[in-house]
Amino acid sequence: MDKRKNTGLQVLLWTMCVIFLLPLYWLFVSSVKSDSEITRFPPTFWPEEFVWSNFADIWSRLNFGQTFSNSIFVSLSTTVLIVIFSTMAGYALSKKKIIGKNMILVVLVATMTVPPTALLLPLYFIITTLGMYDTLTSLIIPFGVTVFGVFFMKQYMDDIPDELIEAARIDGCGEFRIFLQVIVPLVKPAVTTLVIIEFVNNWNSFTMPLVLLQSESNYTLPLQLGIIASESVAIPWSQILAANLLTVVPVIVLFLVLQRQFIKGIMEGAVKG
Amino acid sequence: MNQLIQKLKNNDWTGTAFLLPAAIILSLFVVYPIIWAFLVSFRDIRPMEMRGIGLFTMPGEFVWLQQYIDVFNNSLFIKSLFNTAYFGIIYIPITLISAALLAVLLNQKMNGVNFFRTVLFIPYIISVVSASLIFMFLFNGDRGMINAVLMQFNISGPNWLADSLLAMPVIAIMSAWKKIGYFMLIYLAGLQNIPNSLYEAAKIDGANAFQRFWFVTWPMLGRITLVVSVLLMIDTLNVFQEVFVMTGGGPADSTTTVPFLIYNEGFQYFRIGSASAMSYILFVVVIVITLLQKRSVDKKLG
Repeated sequence: MDKRKNTGLQVLLWTMCVIFLLPLYWLFVSSVKSDSEITRFPPTFWPEEFVWSNFADIWSRLNFGQTFSNSIFVSLSTTVLIVIFSTMAGYALSKKKIIGKNMILVVLVATMTVPPTALLLPLYFIITTLGMYDTLTSLIIPFGVTVFGVFFMKQYMDDIPDELIEAARIDGCGEFRIFLQVIVPLVKPAVTTLVIIEFVNNWNSFTMPLVLLQSESNYTLPLQLGIIASESVAIPWSQILAANLLTVVPVIVLFLVLQRQFIKGIMEGAVKG
Repeated sequence: MNQLIQKLKNNDWTGTAFLLPAAIILSLFVVYPIIWAFLVSFRDIRPMEMRGIGLFTMPGEFVWLQQYIDVFNNSLFIKSLFNTAYFGIIYIPITLISAALLAVLLNQKMNGVNFFRTVLFIPYIISVVSASLIFMFLFNGDRGMINAVLMQFNISGPNWLADSLLAMPVIAIMSAWKKIGYFMLIYLAGLQNIPNSLYEAAKIDGANAFQRFWFVTWPMLGRITLVVSVLLMIDTLNVFQEVFVMTGGGPADSTTTVPFLIYNEGFQYFRIGSASAMSYILFVVVIVITLLQKRSVDKKLG
């Protein structure tokens, strides 16, 4: 009886997996079809011939090397800033006596409910006034710390016993050394998780680049993709999807390699939050 | 006064220094924008007046509530509210129910749990833009897989994204596909916090699998369900990128959501005050929903 139930469950879950993976299958299959096969009706479920050159074609056509390195540069720099500043702020808010700490925490929680689109115009105005419009810096410095990051790190720091810091202080550790040599090693798992989550967020970011970038040489990957999809009809679908596949593969690989930390981080955040 | 001095003395200045970089960035790029949008929503600003002014000067003329009155008289805004609701009616139940059920199924001991969890989570890490491109082609009128499959059953599929009734459901299904894995994880985290003794007690009392779910699991997941439904509601009020990429608000404005309208008002027509007023209406809606849901759960769970 139990065994039969289990088989039914397995079948159900396998079906769900297939449904969930179908869009990705269609992405892959379509991206390697030839220009004539992609426009055929009804479409073929498996490509007649694999046109791998689609990838090379779209790469040079869109100057994808530049776009790719822009995306990597922006995502990496922003992630580094977020991790450093969030860890520092999380430490201060968790372990230090600061005037108005409770008010700071309340304000931070409140900002989390603000819909991101509501901030588009003011951010555009502020960033333009500061002279960062149409530069990659405009995507890095203003987003160099996230409320999520600060809270995520603070929660981890709360679990560190105060005695540990006290002991280090008695041993003659300076404030800065306590942070670097006592706190940071203890929160390493949290840092890894934050790195993955924030990197993926920035890699996928579309709205801010759309508003803040103008010259094509500054475009990031999602912006480039969004723009060719909504404007151009001259590029065949197989090549658009080839470009899309190239954008999707790095995050999927990153996820598959680091999925344990990723999933753990999200589940822990859910329980505590 | 003395108290203040005492407080300042007690303040940990090295701690404050650690907080400083985050404090500067967050106040300039999170808190100040919220204030700016609020102040600007009471003003009439021409785009020209935005040029070359200081960071803290408010351009334009103070017009009291005129922007808000105009927004509520804007038929496209009212339509966008209905469109957003249409999205939510499809997106929220599908995502909530699938996520909860999958979490319950995956919470059992069996082979391949980790594999299923990973596969179901993959769509979440794909960007909205990439997912939109995939679904545009999946639901393409004559080249998409959905219609090709329907062909096998001799049904000629519609041109999904060009149909004003069907375009929004496609966007909602795409969002559900992307988010189910994420909310499933949140539910899984909640399930793992339910003490096993509750299930054993229910078993001894003769409860079957369904009864155990309905009388033990579901009530225990109340708080998580609140969090999830608030997050889903916020998702619903934030639909922008998928509309921008997939439909551009059409056909016949049927997929114009509130955020898409805000973007258009601000960055296509440069109606800054009106865009800010809409932003604030959206903001207030989010806060009201969050508070209402919090209250209802506090009442239920004490």
